Amino acid sequence: MSAKAKKLVEECAAEKHKTLDLVDRSISNIIDLPGFLNLQHVTSITLAHNKLSSLPASIANLVNLEVLNLFNNQLEELPTSLSSMPCLKQVLDLTYNNLNEKSLPGNFCQLETLRALYMADNDFEYLPTEIGQLQNLQILVLRDNELVALPKEIGDLIRLRELHIQGNRLTVLPPEFANLDLMGTKNVFKYEGNPWAPPIMEQLKKGLANMFDYIKSDTYKYLYGRRIAADAPPPPRSHDKSKKASRKGMKAKS
Amino acid sequence: MATLHAPQFLQPLNEQNASPLFRRRANTRERDHAQVGGGGADGPNFGSSRFSDTQANHDMQLGPDGSLAICTRCHEGFDVTEKIVNSGGDVWHPRCFVCAQCFQPFPEGVFYEFEGRKYCEHDFQVLYAPCCNKCGEFVIGRVIKAMNTSWHPSCFHCQLCDAPLADIGFVKNMGRALCRECNAKEKASGSGKYVCHKCHAIIDEGHIKLKGDVYHPYHFSCASCGTELTPDAREKNGELLCLRCHDKAGVPICGACRRPIEGRVINALGKTWHPEHFVCAKCEKPFHGSRHYERRGLAYCENHYHQLFGDLCFVCNNVIPGDVCRALNKCWCFNHFSCSACDRQLSEKTKFFVMDVKPVCKHCFEKFPSELQKRLKKASDAGLG
Repeated sequence: MSAKAKKLVEECAAEKHKTLDLVDRSISNIIDLPGFLNLQHVTSITLAHNKLSSLPASIANLVNLEVLNLFNNQLEELPTSLSSMPCLKQVLDLTYNNLNEKSLPGNFCQLETLRALYMADNDFEYLPTEIGQLQNLQILVLRDNELVALPKEIGDLIRLRELHIQGNRLTVLPPEFANLDLMGTKNVFKYEGNPWAPPIMEQLKKGLANMFDYIKSDTYKYLYGRRIAADAPPPPRSHDKSKKASRKGMKAKS
Repeated sequence: MATLHAPQFLQPLNEQNASPLFRRRANTRERDHAQVGGGGADGPNFGSSRFSDTQANHDMQLGPDGSLAICTRCHEGFDVTEKIVNSGGDVWHPRCFVCAQCFQPFPEGVFYEFEGRKYCEHDFQVLYAPCCNKCGEFVIGRVIKAMNTSWHPSCFHCQLCDAPLADIGFVKNMGRALCRECNAKEKASGSGKYVCHKCHAIIDEGHIKLKGDVYHPYHFSCASCGTELTPDAREKNGELLCLRCHDKAGVPICGACRRPIEGRVINALGKTWHPEHFVCAKCEKPFHGSRHYERRGLAYCENHYHQLFGDLCFVCNNVIPGDVCRALNKCWCFNHFSCSACDRQLSEKTKFFVMDVKPVCKHCFEKFPSELQKRLKKASDAGLG
């Protein structure tokens, strides 16, 4: 860890800066930054391009924190206290970490004011069913995870206007998915790079509107029900993620 | 079984010990005898009769058919010296021949019979005689049944010309009994005029309508101010209002509370509102003259309109004041447009890379793990970035 990081924290504490930029300082643990957890006046912290594998629960001391950027770290878990941070409600960028469904604290979905959740380049196979509680979520990015299924509760995210699920292991979509309005010109829906079941693939080739109409149909509901009942094994992992930069820390540890 | 001795306690009536009433009756007896079965028999349901005395003889008394005489009321025989009252073939002791109601002898020997019971005139009338609808006295004799009530023939007159109707017949006209001539006149004068639904009289000038029926205005009061109505009253929602109250009721109604607006009126969204009730559909704060924004029939304050439908900054989530940076389907405040990885400010001229439809500065992109860089480049080359 660079000595510069400590200096930046001290400077921020002394001069009461609202923002703290700790990009690419090779930080592996927050505890290594004395005084960091006392920066209660800070509203925005950028910890992109570091080597954090976990966050201390006491991060909740930063009561005024609104934006927390954890892009490109090695996070494997998130503290439960994250949900209790009163101002942290806008954008959460967890792109390029080692997170999966087990890393999310149980109360994660109580961040009901969350507008954008970036979790691309992680290891999620499933999403928690509580995801439907994120009623204000407008952007959900799950690009390049290991998702094998989406919960039907995803249909509850009525404000969603950007959804990225490309590069996963999805074969079907729950019929409730049709509740989402992702077809407008202002909306984004990315679904490429999934082993879609043939009927869905066929509809997708015809166009997004066809696909949405199709998954609303009773035919599809029947097929979907049968597929869920059959409990077929998920498709195998298609990407080799061992080369991910976020894995390096793990290798070093092991 | 008769006895030869008169009982001590029962003295037969004679000239010496009879009461004055009895003596008076005895004096009129001769005249009464001539009228048995006579007077007062006009009524269909009742009749009056007078009794006849049988002179006592000094042997066992026998009934008219020769059998032993038994009093109809007390079922006892008669003393040889006793008087026997005979009426219609039945016999009584004089003390038993009394009114069924007051147990007094019949004045003047006149009684009225009803369902086998005999009453004095007074009690009979009280109990059974009809009452005249006009004079309120009992009707004895001929009864006129008309207009659902009873009348003396002499009391039943045309309600307009006062001609007696008992023998010439009558016509019912709006609850009144009229002679034929008067009825014809009424019909002629009433043609083309309304008849009040309440009092059934002709409405000479000015009627009001309520639920399709016409009335004299003076039968009603204004539902709002309570004054007696005039023909210019109006019906509104099934209530009658005087003209003044009706016009007042024409004041605008608040679109929120549905009550009339007395003071300042806000016209918006095609409705009228109390100033304090014209509020933002989101925060419910009154606009109080500040600008409002309409969308789908609802009004919003500036802040909430933009929050719900307008350009909100991707970073601060507030309405964007001043210049807007538009890119990647998103908007930013001019000084909030920044790299999503390092939060360094970008300008619209700065070259940036795109990852997950958000901007990444060149500096950050170059710091990305090389395998991610490769993937992103590949995706963008394939047109999927």
